[in-house]
Amino acid sequence: MPDLDAIKTEVRRLLADGVVEVVVAFKPGDTPLHPQPAFFHSPEEVDSLVHNGLCQNNLATFLTHLPKTKKVGMVVRGCENRSVNALIVEKQKSRENLYLLGVPCEGIIDWRKIVEHVGEAVLAVHENSDEVTVETREGQFNLSRNELLHASCLRCAHRNPISADILIGEPLPEGDPNLARVAVEEFESLTNEERYAWFQKEAERCIRCYACREACPMCYCTECFVDHIEPRWTESGATPAGMQGWHIVRAFHQTGRCTDCGACERACPMDIKMTYLTEKLNNDMRKKYAFEVGLDIQTQPPFATVTLDDKNRFSV
Amino acid sequence: MNLILEKHALPDLLQSWRGNYDVYLPQKMERFSHFMPLTDNSVLVTHEPHNTRISPKALFLPMTEALVKFTRFGGYEDAQQVIQPRIIFAIRPCDAQAVQLLDTSFIQEAYTDPLWLERREKTITVGLGCHEPCQTGFCTTVGYGPFNKADLDVLLTDMGDAYLVETLSKAGEDCFQGLPCASDEFVEQALIVQRNAHDQMPVAFETENLKEKLEQNFNSDYWETVSQSCLGCGVCTFLCPTCFCFDIVDETQRRERVRNWDTCMFRTYSLEASGHNPRPSKVERTRQRLSHKFVYWLDQVNQIGCTGCGRCVRYCPVGLDIRAMLRQAQTLPFEVSHAG
Amino acid sequence: MQDNGHSPYTPIPMHVLHAYYESTDHSLKTVELSFDHAADSQAFFEAFNPGQFCLLSVAGKGESALGVASAAWEGNFVRFTAQKMGSVTTALHGLKAGDAIGMRGPLGNGFPLQDWKGKNLVIIGGGCAFSTLYALTKHIHHESHRDDYGKLTLVYGTRTSGLCMYKHDIAAWHENEDMEIHQAIDVPEDDWLHHVGYVPDVVRQVAPSPVNAVAVVCGPPIMTKFTLPALVELGFAPENIFTSLEKRMKCGIGKCGRCNLGPKYICKDGPVFSLAELNALPADL
Repeated sequence: MPDLDAIKTEVRRLLADGVVEVVVAFKPGDTPLHPQPAFFHSPEEVDSLVHNGLCQNNLATFLTHLPKTKKVGMVVRGCENRSVNALIVEKQKSRENLYLLGVPCEGIIDWRKIVEHVGEAVLAVHENSDEVTVETREGQFNLSRNELLHASCLRCAHRNPISADILIGEPLPEGDPNLARVAVEEFESLTNEERYAWFQKEAERCIRCYACREACPMCYCTECFVDHIEPRWTESGATPAGMQGWHIVRAFHQTGRCTDCGACERACPMDIKMTYLTEKLNNDMRKKYAFEVGLDIQTQPPFATVTLDDKNRFSV
Repeated sequence: MNLILEKHALPDLLQSWRGNYDVYLPQKMERFSHFMPLTDNSVLVTHEPHNTRISPKALFLPMTEALVKFTRFGGYEDAQQVIQPRIIFAIRPCDAQAVQLLDTSFIQEAYTDPLWLERREKTITVGLGCHEPCQTGFCTTVGYGPFNKADLDVLLTDMGDAYLVETLSKAGEDCFQGLPCASDEFVEQALIVQRNAHDQMPVAFETENLKEKLEQNFNSDYWETVSQSCLGCGVCTFLCPTCFCFDIVDETQRRERVRNWDTCMFRTYSLEASGHNPRPSKVERTRQRLSHKFVYWLDQVNQIGCTGCGRCVRYCPVGLDIRAMLRQAQTLPFEVSHAG
Repeated sequence: MQDNGHSPYTPIPMHVLHAYYESTDHSLKTVELSFDHAADSQAFFEAFNPGQFCLLSVAGKGESALGVASAAWEGNFVRFTAQKMGSVTTALHGLKAGDAIGMRGPLGNGFPLQDWKGKNLVIIGGGCAFSTLYALTKHIHHESHRDDYGKLTLVYGTRTSGLCMYKHDIAAWHENEDMEIHQAIDVPEDDWLHHVGYVPDVVRQVAPSPVNAVAVVCGPPIMTKFTLPALVELGFAPENIFTSLEKRMKCGIGKCGRCNLGPKYICKDGPVFSLAELNALPADL
């Protein structure tokens, strides 16, 4: 598990020495189940910093909330590091204005699964690599960590931050890259009708609150296509066409950009599965272009590049 | 009138209503419960430690509905909605209270929303009190409670194998005709259950002078502090039973003008055609959300515009907790107003 | 608001009587609309008060809030002037005589004319927001209303002379002995015989007397922002300064929540507020 004291010491140093103006990390929420993203501006504030398996969000999403030129420090896990890299590739931030504190990640715990097991009256949560111990008024419950992990984390192939300025803690063994492919193949093995039924069932539960969009580091457009009025790209309401339109276009806009951090699914108030779409596209990117998102800060996503020797001429 | 309903008799009773009513009740959808129409094999879900994910306001103000139809020759006609008489079963007191609050906006002397009014007039509400109050709820803090009777035709108290059925209107009484009367002793036991539930709920924040503090600190840094980690999504407001804002959009292909749920938390909500936005960042938007509930509702109808259902607390993707935000607001400086 | 048994969200059918450009740069267009049904017309004029607005509806584009720029005595039509801005106003600019259009209104409170009786009026307008003030001036000019009010002072500023609206009437008003009229443009032009400068400065220069007077200001937000303090400096009490506000609107009847200013909805409780009322509301514009 991450060494919290070592993280705090480094964050204090960054702020005290003026290496960065702000550090983005987590602080405790009102209940142990919901740590909150937080912005630390001075060493004194750092006492309250937390970093644990219940930190649900991809902090990279806050990078585009902050001024481009601000010196920002960020505590990053494997997925967050790659999202930051993808944002640098897309020129949303320059690497010089960033200081990344990398923390190897053993996966994000889905708080809803805890509530399903033990109810809501959670007093404290302790975790190690195998077990999560939850204290409630009724007593103490030991749960298997693996069973509580979010789906994206179970198939994660990049648990270690790959380009952090400092790595806190020993690197973990990386995940099996085949797991991501297996999940996609499971969906691909369905018939057309089954796939469409799946898509309908998931998409049409949507309430169009756009929590998935706002939780995603790569959804930083000032004007989202659904908010565009002339022309209108999709129906505005919670109708089948509107909801399907949103989910399919959102996924396609992520082609070659999604790190499969799963923040979209964790933010969704309706438990809609979304990563089966983005993972399918990720898989295509890997197969057809040998491209994996966020492994460096130079390589453009295949769909954002044009070269003279492209096989397809983009002409009809 | 106080009656007893044995739980094993409930499924038949629910089915017996189907002849005359559309019956809505919380049923399982994915990993949560959701108000859906009763079918032959519906299973009532009330054992969850909290309320339905989406509030039943959606049964009065659907996420999307047509307001106006475009006719072929450039004219307009009212969109017709066929609304059957209906019973909402196991609505929680916080959600029923919220519907009553929303009446003050939708049913007014000058302008009444015809779609809202029709749904209201055709609905019987059978409330289910919260004998085990949820962890994120704070109904007692905002002046209501787990057995609040506002806007209910019937209030049920879960007594283990049976419900105490307290009818609060003629329509409610008619739905439960033929049930045996509850003994005084049973009613007394139910009152103990109700009191215990009420007493279990801690005070989440002080409401005294809260309005003045929020009002007088309109330009405070407080808003920056509490909105910092906000993502700007619509979870809190869309799940909220008292949030009622809507957008009106022309759907050309459907030849309809529709209204959709909208929220002050979206950037586009107040963005004007000129490009000017009176609430340009999440600071102003968070201020609007909290002030609406804890200042403006009080100015308008002298009631807090929050019934303490706890949904925004439970489902905020970044763990923002309105209770903590308001506790922090209580530390803000203010001056006692002597006016009025 | 029409009371025709229809939903308050359903526009009443209207037709374009006249449509013409109001400014030389074609950024402003005026439309005069007639009612398809006599009952709608009757309901409209029973409720109408200068300062109110309507939502003009173009099917497929949406609705746009526009102040009424005509007085009831002018005839059985309603006039609006639209600046080409969003998709609805762009569609309005494409209208020609005979075209069908929908309308909801009159909406909002309008000017408190009853309270203003017996007082001198200082009317200050800027840009295309002058439209409701034009309706107000036309209303007062009618022989059956003129004696209800005292002295009339009008200040009207536009960026250029070409952007000045309702030129024919304004030219006539210069000849009118019972009103004082001050026109202004922002930058000098050849042959311009009136003021040059911004409206707040012109107001200071003209210095209307606050004695037994009310001032009403309608203009772009920036002009209003600087004109209100100028009037306070001249001695006008906040209770006697009025302005008309704008915010993004959808329903127009206080339901959709969008145009709130604190606990007030601009569409339902406004758009006309006194400065005293505004001072008690949060600065959320």
